[in-house]
Amino acid sequence: MKNALYNTGYFLKEANKIIRLNWLSNVFSFLSTGLVLFVLAVVVSGWSISNMLVETLQNEAEISAYLDGGTGTSQTLELVETIKGIDGVWDARLVDQTEAYGRMEAALGEEARILGLFEENPFEAFIEVRINLDEMEAVLERVESLPGIDYVRDNREVLGRIQSITEGLKNLGILIIAAVGISTLVIISHIIRQGIYNNRAQIDTLKLLGAPDSFIGFPFVLAGLLLTLAGGVLAAVFAVLLINHGYGYMIGSISFVPLPPRSQLILGVVIMIGTVSAALGVFGSLFGLSSTKNS
Amino acid sequence: MIEAKEMSLRYPDGTLALKNISIRVQPGELIYITGPSGSGKTSFLKTLMGMEYPTSGCLRVLGQPITKGEEGRIRQLRKKIGPVFQEFKLIRGRTVLENVMMGMRFLGISPGEMKRSAGSALAGLGLEHKALSPVENLSWGEAQRVAIARAVARKPAIILADEPTGNLDHDNALTIIDLLASFRDTDTTVIITTHATHLIEQQNNAIFIRMDSGNIFVEYRRKAHEKCSV
Repeated sequence: MKNALYNTGYFLKEANKIIRLNWLSNVFSFLSTGLVLFVLAVVVSGWSISNMLVETLQNEAEISAYLDGGTGTSQTLELVETIKGIDGVWDARLVDQTEAYGRMEAALGEEARILGLFEENPFEAFIEVRINLDEMEAVLERVESLPGIDYVRDNREVLGRIQSITEGLKNLGILIIAAVGISTLVIISHIIRQGIYNNRAQIDTLKLLGAPDSFIGFPFVLAGLLLTLAGGVLAAVFAVLLINHGYGYMIGSISFVPLPPRSQLILGVVIMIGTVSAALGVFGSLFGLSSTKNS
Repeated sequence: MIEAKEMSLRYPDGTLALKNISIRVQPGELIYITGPSGSGKTSFLKTLMGMEYPTSGCLRVLGQPITKGEEGRIRQLRKKIGPVFQEFKLIRGRTVLENVMMGMRFLGISPGEMKRSAGSALAGLGLEHKALSPVENLSWGEAQRVAIARAVARKPAIILADEPTGNLDHDNALTIIDLLASFRDTDTTVIITTHATHLIEQQNNAIFIRMDSGNIFVEYRRKAHEKCSV
């Protein structure tokens, strides 16, 4: 440890030399690492936004329970309370005929005049039930079996699609993260192997002088770490620009999409890129070192 | 300190470089190994460094057996050896001072002590004015002296110098021989190979070994002021 502290300047100088020795190749590696990490940042940002969207949609997932014709007001209110007590139900409330009409009017907009053709309000009162999407099947079964409930409109198809989109996004995210991780590891370990090859005479001399492997290898790990961190900084800068630009666009054009707070997303992405680039730099370098150890 | 018993070294191509060598060296001894090219001088030093392993017999350096499977301990052993390589093995792109300090960075020496030690070694070899010069700018002879400075600055228990005067003029070569020989006074064992026998004719208190075809051909000690004859 004492040795490492004494030699900090030396290690940094060596790492700098390793990077400079193959300058052009390392510049391209830095750019490609930055690009790969930028892709990761985009995926993670998209993932974060889509997770929030899905979460919002899940929170708003609801079913409509329509009542038997002869169900009285007090029985209806009792039903609402019973439904509220079912596991997987977040809330339940009665939507009377007038509110149902008003909602349709609002949904139709200018076309609402068509409702004037009806002599009476054509809409029935129903119980609006907000549910946990993961427990949809069980809730449906319970609500349908309640006395006083005629039928349940469940939007099962829409809710199922939301669920599969969520799963798809998660799987895609995992695949991209794996691809980013592997490609960065390959790039960095290749750089380190190249650095070791270019410095083989020096390594040989140090071994003959009795230098331990940790002393010989540390500058290479440092070089790999510095390169990926530089790539991470590049990726983070582009990611922040993209998020700022993207938020401006989304707030203006598709404001109904729920977004996490911008500063929170930026902070999260920057921390994630920093951590991932540091970890990939260290592991890539160690992998490159270990793969050349015997040769 | 160094003990070899019927040690032989055969290279993978079948060349028998060392044949049944037995030798015992005590701390503070000065040994000159002479012999023509290909006689086994460098191979002998390489085995002492653990760069080659005896193919039969045994060798111990500072108590450490030089055998396969002991690589980690041999690396530790090398910290106590000051090697001067025939081809110098200086690190390009570095200054003279950096090269000398490079050999000490992993020995647990403080930066101040490293600088002092390196400076003193360079001064002893007349190279203090070249301390900040890149090694690429050195003459052949200067590079050789830097290699020696790197070896001695480490204050090793053993100095192994392979043809350290190979590229120096007569006066400089004698200075180097005298300098290396002086380390014997600090209880450092010094082993020097050379084919320039005229340089060591006047050296005293040393063991002289002549090697030929991998054999130790002649070994004799000479005390101070005793005239040598073979």
